[in-house]
Amino acid sequence: MYIFKNAWKNITRNKGRNILIGIIVIVIAAASSITLAIRESANNIVSAYQEKNKIEATIGMNRNNLMELLKKDNSSQEDMIESFNNIEIITAEEIDNYGNSEYVSSYYYTYDLSVDAKDISEATDSLVKETTEVKTKTDTKTKTSSFAPDHQGPGDFQGGSTETTTTKRRTTTTKTEKIFNEKAQDGAFKLIGYKSYENMTKFINGDYTIIDGEVSSDFTSDSVVISEELASLNNLSVGDTITFVDPKNSKNTYEAKITGIYKENTDSSSNMASMFTNSANEIITNISFVEKILSGNDDLKATITPTFIIKDSSSVEKFSQEVSEKGLSEYYTVTSNLSEIESATESVDNVKIFATTFLIITLIIGGVVLIVINMINIRERKYEIGVLRTVGMKKSKLSMQFMVELLIVSFVSLMIGAGIGSCLSVPVSNNLLANEISNESSKYDDIGKNFGINQEKPQEDSSNDNNEKKDFKEMNFGIAKVNAVESIDAVVDFKVLAELLGIGILLTLLSSLASMIAIARFQPLQILKERG
Amino acid sequence: MKEILKVNNVSYRYNDAPKDDFVLKNINISFEQGKTYAIKGKSGSGKTTLLSLISGLEKKYCGQILYDNKDLSKMNLDKYRNSDIGIVFQSYNLLPQFTAEENIILSMDISNLKGVNKKEQALKLMEQVGLDKSLAKRRVLKLSGGEQQRIAIARSLSYNPKIIIADEPTGNLDNETESEILKIFDNLAHKDNKCVIIVTHSQNVCDKVDKVYDLKCVNNKTDL
Repeated sequence: MYIFKNAWKNITRNKGRNILIGIIVIVIAAASSITLAIRESANNIVSAYQEKNKIEATIGMNRNNLMELLKKDNSSQEDMIESFNNIEIITAEEIDNYGNSEYVSSYYYTYDLSVDAKDISEATDSLVKETTEVKTKTDTKTKTSSFAPDHQGPGDFQGGSTETTTTKRRTTTTKTEKIFNEKAQDGAFKLIGYKSYENMTKFINGDYTIIDGEVSSDFTSDSVVISEELASLNNLSVGDTITFVDPKNSKNTYEAKITGIYKENTDSSSNMASMFTNSANEIITNISFVEKILSGNDDLKATITPTFIIKDSSSVEKFSQEVSEKGLSEYYTVTSNLSEIESATESVDNVKIFATTFLIITLIIGGVVLIVINMINIRERKYEIGVLRTVGMKKSKLSMQFMVELLIVSFVSLMIGAGIGSCLSVPVSNNLLANEISNESSKYDDIGKNFGINQEKPQEDSSNDNNEKKDFKEMNFGIAKVNAVESIDAVVDFKVLAELLGIGILLTLLSSLASMIAIARFQPLQILKERG
Repeated sequence: MKEILKVNNVSYRYNDAPKDDFVLKNINISFEQGKTYAIKGKSGSGKTTLLSLISGLEKKYCGQILYDNKDLSKMNLDKYRNSDIGIVFQSYNLLPQFTAEENIILSMDISNLKGVNKKEQALKLMEQVGLDKSLAKRRVLKLSGGEQQRIAIARSLSYNPKIIIADEPTGNLDNETESEILKIFDNLAHKDNKCVIIVTHSQNVCDKVDKVYDLKCVNNKTDL
C-alpha cells in the first residue's frame, strides 16, 4: 500500500518531470486514439456494410466450359442448342444438398418461369419475331413407259415391243421448324416464385415497394403481385384475377388473384432501348403456384435460382470447392458478390490501412521516446534508488513503485489524449476519406469520359426522410456501379478506450523494463558513494 | 553483554584490484549490545568497506559475518537492513521530496512495521533525537545539516533495530552539534541497549565511545 502512497507523493512533488512524461504520453495517446478510432469506425462501417449487404453466392452457367462444349466438332447451331438442352437443370434437392454446408449461414431459392396470360398484354415496346428456317428438299421419282423414248443415250435399254423409260422429277419441299431454347422459354411474363418474405430480397432491400395491397403471407395460395406498369397497361387492380397460360400447351390455364401492386424504385433500366423498367413483366408469386403450373406440363421448365448466404469472405472459395466436390456440373459455377462488396469498401479499407500504419509508427516512435525519457528519469533518480535500497526496500517493490508512478501518469495522460483524439478523430478521418473518395471518383470520371459519359456524382437522396445517415452513395456510370463510403463517424468508444489503455499499459511496462533493469543493476553503496 | 555481531576472518578486495590486493584482510572483530564502538582509520584504510560488509550492502567477501549467530551471507539482506540494522550516513541520505516525518514513516513502511501508529512514532523519535515536532512537516532540504542528521538517526531507529551503524555521522557538523549527536548515540547504546558502531577518523568521537577498532593501513594489508 505504501508503494502507491509513495508513488503518488513522487508524482505530485516532481511535477516538471511527470508533466514532461505526461505530454509525451498525451501525444502518443491522441495520435493512437485518432488512428484507433478511425480503424475501429472503418471496421464497423465495413462490418455494417457486409451485414447489410451479405455475401451471397449463387450458381450460374459457366460460360467458358459451356462454349467449349457447344463448339465441339464444329457443331451446327441446332446441335449446340440440343447439347445445351441436355445439360441437367439444377434441382431443389441439389440446392438443399449444397446449402447444407458449414460455410453457409442460410440459403433460399426462387423459381423463374415464363408464362403467357389471357386477356392481358405484356409491357413491351418490341415485336415478337418467330424464327423460321426454310429447307429445300429434292425428291427423285421413277416412271415406267410403253413408249420408246425420243432420244436414247448410249447404254439405254433397247429391243422388244415393250419399252421401259425412267424419268427424273425434281420436287421442292419447304419445311418450317421452330428451334427454341427450352431453358430460356418463350412466355411473355416472368413468374417469380418465392418461399417466404425472408427470401424476397428486392422488397427487403427496397428495390421494390408495394403501393397497393400486399404480398400475401400465404405462400401456398394462388396469388400474385404485379408491377405498377403492368397494372396500369391492363387496367388491373388488387382483387382482379389473371389467367396464366402454359406457353407450351395453351390448354393449360391457371388462375391467380392479384393481392398487390408494386413499384420498382429505380430511375434507370438496364435496357436502354426499353420504355419500361426491367421488372414491368415480373409477376411475383410463391413457389407453390409455380410448382402447380410446372406439374401440369413436364416439358415446361423453370429456372431455379439459389442464393446462399455465406458466413464470411474466406468461406466463398471453400464453398465453391465444396459444391464442386458434391457433384455440381462443370457447366455451372458458383459466383458471389464478394468483389462488389470489397470494391465498395475499398476507400474505407485504404483509410484503415493508413491508420494502422500510422498507429504502428506512432507506437514505435512513442515507445522509443518513452523508454529514453524513462531511462533519463531513472538516472536522475539514481540517488533515490540508492537510499531506498540501503534502507532495505526490495528491488521488486522499488520497480513496482516506479511502474505505478508511470502507470498513474500514463493513465491520466491517456485519458487526456483520448479526449483530444476523440475531438480530432472525426475531422481527421473524414478529411482522409474525402481524399480517398475524390481519388476513387476521379478514377470513375475518367472511365466515364472514355465512354463519352460526362457523369456527375449524384447528390444524396433528398427524398430520404428518415434521419439515418446514408453511408453509401451510389455512383452509377452506366458501365459500373460503385458504392462508396461518404463519411466515417470516427468515435472514441469503450472499445477504442480499452485498446488505448492496453497500448498504454504495454508501453508503460515496456518503458518500465528500463527502470527494472537499472534497479537490478544499481549497487546502492556505489550510488551513495558517487553522490557523496 | 550479548555479542550481537561477529566478523570472523573476513577479507575483501575490489573486483578490479590485483589478486592479492586486499582492502581488508583476515579481520576478526565482534560487537556487543549496549556498547558504542568506533572503527578508526585513515582514508582508504577500509572503514567504509567494513561498514558496507557488516550492513549487508556488500555481499562478496571471504570469511564469515555472524549476526545474532546467524551467517549474514545466508540471510535475506533486504530484511536484515530494514529490520535488524539501522544505517546513518555522513551525507544523511534522506529523500529530498519527502518531509522529515515522511522519511521516518517510509522506513517503517519498508520494514513492514505493524501495530504502531506510525505518525505518532515518528514524532516520538524526532523528540528522542532532539528535534521539535514543528519540523515534522518540513521538507528535509529545508532543515539544517544537524537537523537532517537527527532525522537520519530517527529513521534508522524507526523499526527498532539492534545495531546502529553510522558512517562519519558528524563529519559535516559543527562541534556543538557533533556532541549532541554523539550524546544521542551514547543514549541509544546505554539506555536502549543498542549496539552503536561509528566509522570515523575523528579522535573526538573515538574518545567518547566504549571501544575503538583501529584499521591500520600498511601496504594494502589491514591488521587489527
